[in-house]
Order: sequence, then C-alpha cells, then structure tokens
Amino acid sequence: MKWLYSFLIFTITFFSQAQELFVVSDPASNIPTNTLSLRMANSFMELVNSNKYNYNLNPELTYGLNRNLMLRTTLFTSNREGSYTFTGAGFYAKYRFFSSDDLNSHFRLAAFGRYSFNTASVNQEAIEIMGMNTGFETGIVATKLIHKVALSSTVSFEKAFDNGSNVFPDYLGDNAINYTFSVGKLVYPKKYTSFKQTNINLMLEFVGQTINENGHSYLDVVPAIQFIINSQARIDLAYNKQIMSSVNRIAPNGILINFEYNFYNVIKKKRSETD
Amino acid sequence: MKNILIILITLFFTTQSNAQIVKAEIIATGLTCSMCSNAINKQLKSLPEVASVETDLNTNTFTVTMRPNTNISPKVFKDNVEKAGFFVGSLVLYVDLDALENYINIEKKELTAINKLQIQILDKGFVTDKEFKKLTKKYKNSETYLSNNEEDFHFKVIN
Repeated sequence: MKWLYSFLIFTITFFSQAQELFVVSDPASNIPTNTLSLRMANSFMELVNSNKYNYNLNPELTYGLNRNLMLRTTLFTSNREGSYTFTGAGFYAKYRFFSSDDLNSHFRLAAFGRYSFNTASVNQEAIEIMGMNTGFETGIVATKLIHKVALSSTVSFEKAFDNGSNVFPDYLGDNAINYTFSVGKLVYPKKYTSFKQTNINLMLEFVGQTINENGHSYLDVVPAIQFIINSQARIDLAYNKQIMSSVNRIAPNGILINFEYNFYNVIKKKRSETD
Repeated sequence: MKNILIILITLFFTTQSNAQIVKAEIIATGLTCSMCSNAINKQLKSLPEVASVETDLNTNTFTVTMRPNTNISPKVFKDNVEKAGFFVGSLVLYVDLDALENYINIEKKELTAINKLQIQILDKGFVTDKEFKKLTKKYKNSETYLSNNEEDFHFKVIN
C-alpha cells in the first residue's frame, strides 16, 4: 500500500500541470446538482485466441443529488453468453469531500462505492464488477486540474461474490486492488468563442488490478479522443490495450465508444412546465 | 446638500433586506471546460430573478442581468455556482445606493454615485481562498468581517 500512496503523491506533485471527463475512470468532480446524464457505453472486445468479439452495451444514468454527491445506475448487457442478453446492474455513489479551487485550477478528493450484481457465468480471473461479476468496489479518487490539463488517480478495493447460481470459483482470488492514472488535455479550441463550439480532449489512462491472494496483476493503457458537442453532449472513442498481465482475462483488448448527453436542471424544468 | 438629504431619506425608508441588484459579474473558479461553464450558465439561468446570462468562456466570467425590481442575496449566486460544482472567485455587483443599507462598506470609501454603484463582495466564498486569507489579514480589525456571518456582506467600491 505504501508504494500506492507514494505513486499518488508523485503524480500530484510532478505532473502538476478538460481534460478530466475520462473514459474509464471517474474524476473527483461530480456532475452538477440536478443534472441528469445518460451514457451509452459500448465496447467491442477481442476474444483471446479467437477472431470473435464480445459486444457490451452498458446504458448508464447519473444524477447530481447535490454539489458533493452523485448517484449512478448502470445496466449491463452483452453477447458474451452466446446471445445478446441483460446480465446485471450496478449502483454507484461518489462523494466529493475536499476541494481547493483557484482560477482555472482545482484539486479535489472524492470517495466512492459501487455495488453490482451479475448473473452471467464467471469465466475469467480478473475481477470486473462493471459487467462480469457480482460484488462491490470502494475507493478514493484525487484529481488535479491546471488550466487545460487534468490528472487523476484512483485507488480502490474490489471484491467479488457468486454470480447468483454461477458460483465464484474457490481457486480464484475474490478480492483485488485497482488503480488508475489518467491524464487529459484540452487541445481544441485554443480560444473559446461560444458554447456551440466543439471541444476536443485527448486522454491517456492507465488501468491496473492486482489480485490480493496471489499478486496476479494486469495493466492496460487506454488512449482516447473525446468530442464535447454544444457543451452538452459527449462522444468518446478509445482503445483498451493490455500492456502486461499475469491474470487470466477473456478479452482484454478492444474499442470503447461512449455517447453521453447531459440534461441540466431536470427537476426545475418539469416544475416550470406544469406551472 | 439636497442629494445627501435624498440619500438619507431613501436609506431611512428602505426596508428591503436584500439589495436591488441590477447586474452581477461572477468569475467562477476551478474550471476550464465549456461543459463546466455551461453547467453554471444553466444553473444561473434557472433562477426566476435572472433576465439573462452572458458568458465569457475564456475568463469564466458570467454577466448576469437581473429582472427589474428584484431582490436577491449575493448568497444565491454563490449557492448556484457551487451547485454546478464550482466556486465563486469574484463577485462584482451593480447596485443602487439605497439598496446597500445592510451591506458593510469595509473600506469606508465615500459613496458618490447613487445609481449603479460597482461593488465587490469580499466575504468568504465570494473570493478565492488565497484572496480570503489576504483579506483576513488586511481587515483584521473588522470584527464583523472575521466573524464570517453568512448574512453579513462586506464590500469595497470599485467604481
């Protein structure tokens, strides 16, 4: 754990220089109060030793309950089991407990928890409660934004349970430490002219896991390009590439495509419509 | 002399607890993306007292024009920027003199204009944390400033 802490401090101090709306990880910042965000997260993952793909579609609804608390529900659907089916759902909450903001910069910390259930068969060693395992995850995220660059790092604990009648195998370690490190940079526009202008962000994320029981680990790199349209919608194009692994995984590499739309002031809008 | 009399009479008879703010210029901190600015923009526009919001995305300055004869506390601006997930780095108000009775003129600079006085709110949450630390030293003799009472607003005249 000590090196993780040092890693966090290192990333915060040395890279000190949006940027933070990452594709895989979440920043410490939340979505605005009373904003509803709908995301369609698609992934096309190449099956190991096969030319077939797993297609996963995870529709996701996120709501800003207040300035510090954000809630999210995710549905997991996939063709992994042969036919395209609903396999489970996840519930996520993130609480921002520290903010130090200045003009064009901030440093923020948040704690999060996620519980997911899944009914699919357990067929890999890596633990993934975002679509593969029943289980929970809890952790802390630190995000630093300086002008057009954002840096973010997450450390979390994840534990898997049985997927209903599909038992989690005894010979696999059922808990792990996850870590992410993400960098994002706003590359366009150089100067803003209006809300309608499309923003382009480039991102690079490192996503890793270590199974606590045996130390088996993997590390992925995820380069991404992101388009923010009309200051309201978002399209992410990314590629998930495993760069090292001693963990058995069924489909570590693949394309990620997210579509997201934000509805601001959802509840007030309804009120004024009925007025 | 006549002017002073008018001011005194107006001050005397003003009972509204909140200033009549004509316009507010808010600089938000902690953001650089247009989606973030839009969140603040939408939040401010949702207020019934607000007639329009103009945004300078490069400086994160929101110029909020209020509907005529509306009373609003500066706290409303702060709360709504914070709801969007950010903070106020600077709040400049364009107010009429008669609306300032509950505000504390911390530098005690003489108020010469009657209409559209330009004042900056200096309380905690209305300036950056760094600025607030500096101001705490500067105004260490002001008991009201140091007490951080959310209902008291301290201002300095800009114009």
